[in-house]
Amino acid sequence: MNLNRWTAVILHELLCTVRERLPQLLLAVFVGMIAASAFIGSSARTSVTGVYREVLSQGLTTAPNPFDAFSPLYYARNTVIYIVLIGALLAIVIGVHSTLRDRLAKTTDLILSREVRPASYLGAKLTGLAVFVLLLLAASAVINIGCVSVVVGHVLSFGDGARIAGFYELAWLFMLPFVALGMLAGLYASSATSALLIPIVVWSVMIFILPLLGTAAHPVSLLNPVASPPAAEAGFFSFTSGLVAPFSVGEQFKHVSALILSDPQAAGTMTGGLLTIAAFAVAGCLAVTMTRRERMRCEFHD
Amino acid sequence: MTEVLVLARKELTDLRRNRFMVVLFVFLAIAVVLSVVVAAADFRLKIAGYNHYVDALTAAGSAATAPAPQLFPLQMLRGGIEYLEIIGSLFAVVLGYSIITKEKGRGTLQLIFSRPLGRYAFATGKILSLALLWTVTVTGLFLVITATLLLVGNAPLQGGDYLRLGLAAAHTIGYLIMWSLLAMALSSLTRRTGTGLILALVLWLIVVLIIPQIGDTMDPDNQIPGGLFASLQVDKSHEQAVMAHFTGYETTRDLIEQTSVTKHYERATFAYLGIKNDYNQKSLGFIWAGTFNNTLWLLAGLITSIGVARLAGTQKIILRKVP
Repeated sequence: MNLNRWTAVILHELLCTVRERLPQLLLAVFVGMIAASAFIGSSARTSVTGVYREVLSQGLTTAPNPFDAFSPLYYARNTVIYIVLIGALLAIVIGVHSTLRDRLAKTTDLILSREVRPASYLGAKLTGLAVFVLLLLAASAVINIGCVSVVVGHVLSFGDGARIAGFYELAWLFMLPFVALGMLAGLYASSATSALLIPIVVWSVMIFILPLLGTAAHPVSLLNPVASPPAAEAGFFSFTSGLVAPFSVGEQFKHVSALILSDPQAAGTMTGGLLTIAAFAVAGCLAVTMTRRERMRCEFHD
Repeated sequence: MTEVLVLARKELTDLRRNRFMVVLFVFLAIAVVLSVVVAAADFRLKIAGYNHYVDALTAAGSAATAPAPQLFPLQMLRGGIEYLEIIGSLFAVVLGYSIITKEKGRGTLQLIFSRPLGRYAFATGKILSLALLWTVTVTGLFLVITATLLLVGNAPLQGGDYLRLGLAAAHTIGYLIMWSLLAMALSSLTRRTGTGLILALVLWLIVVLIIPQIGDTMDPDNQIPGGLFASLQVDKSHEQAVMAHFTGYETTRDLIEQTSVTKHYERATFAYLGIKNDYNQKSLGFIWAGTFNNTLWLLAGLITSIGVARLAGTQKIILRKVP
């Protein structure tokens, strides 16, 4: 097979990532939870319907069952949170491993002695990882559609399937900046520990701290796939929300996902959230490809 | 015993000089303080909203009254405790991991073990230093939290509140030491740099985030923003009566949550701080009766982690895993 440099790096990156045992552990947790999410959703919905019937039989409410309007896509809802938690961490770990591998093995010196531009080399590595994430999410989408079909007892309609596929496309865009963040940490950190830790700290800030500043949502409540309630229109949280909302990528992802998955509670449009996630992805990719040659050859202090 | 103290002192000196760790602790302190500031701002908004409502009622000539929002200062710590639960445990993992890998990286393990040390002296010295570090750090954090409550939250703390804060701090110390020791043990048992950290991170992910998330998702009241019962306009007393028909489901959900030591930590601290309404303004005896199993499970986790860290930190095991 005749490969050009770009394709060779992409294939090499894919091969190395598939061979890494530790990311595989995270991968197993991720795929396992995606498969389990539909059944967790089914159990929750059954219990809520039971609770509603009991409330109705005791004459305590006249309100309609809030779940009556829910489509089969409700069962895919939990997946959103697994992408935010496990998917993003997996993206960070494979990104860090990708650049750390080169620095630890000192292969960068050898590669850069050839006629290779750092931007195209790093761009090809990033493309390889992006393809890996895409394949992983494609497999997850198939598993998810299969599990939801089992739970609802029939094959999902084309429209519902397309919505789940659309959600996984969004998940790919969401995971991409975390891959880039991991790669950057692997390139810039002075030790393997800080290379892994810094992006995880950044992730924890984006997912758990920024939403609190903008909406007063408690950190543990952010583990729920229901997006945090919007900030008040005036006062302290209106001000802080304006400042931090664009950086709360996790909340933006949850909001756009809820719209894609037809969550009846979701309101508004997806343009803002989509643009924010895309902007992060572009910024991350640009930052990786703009890394200088000297930085790629930096010594380690581990 | 002297050798253990020497090792612990050396470890504490190392940690004090580690700027990265100092930055992490400062970051944790900022996150916790911010959560109290945000809770205080949220409460002020509720008071402003209440005053606005009362003014509107008065202007409309209505004699109806509404109960004013009540300030329970320790409830403002909910976000802070959740940060310690999630981010604090993450940093504890990193700390426990680095305490062994730095020795592997510097090649000092062979030198240390060339001295006549007792079988468990090395691990015990490390465990002692971690215990001291977390005791000092968490005490400092809770002092900062208390000062923030008093200054920013304008919270009038009573004598009993300080005791409750002390009990919450004690649970936090045990919880964070446990995570550091588990990471230390995994780091001792793995050869490659990063392997121990990723294994510990996967464990952290499952115990701290995934299991509680599954439990929360299975909670019928968490299915709708604002709560299922609120949306159906069902009050608390009726809610309990309804849920009494779903004991089997609730027991299963509770069992899933109880497999996470994080949930035990959360339940105990939330009870002592009155964050959980069932325990708010109740005596310590009442709270202990309701949550002693959570405290004991946390203690069991701590004791297990000490045992595992001591066993994994012996010369025979640790030198076998040096790259």
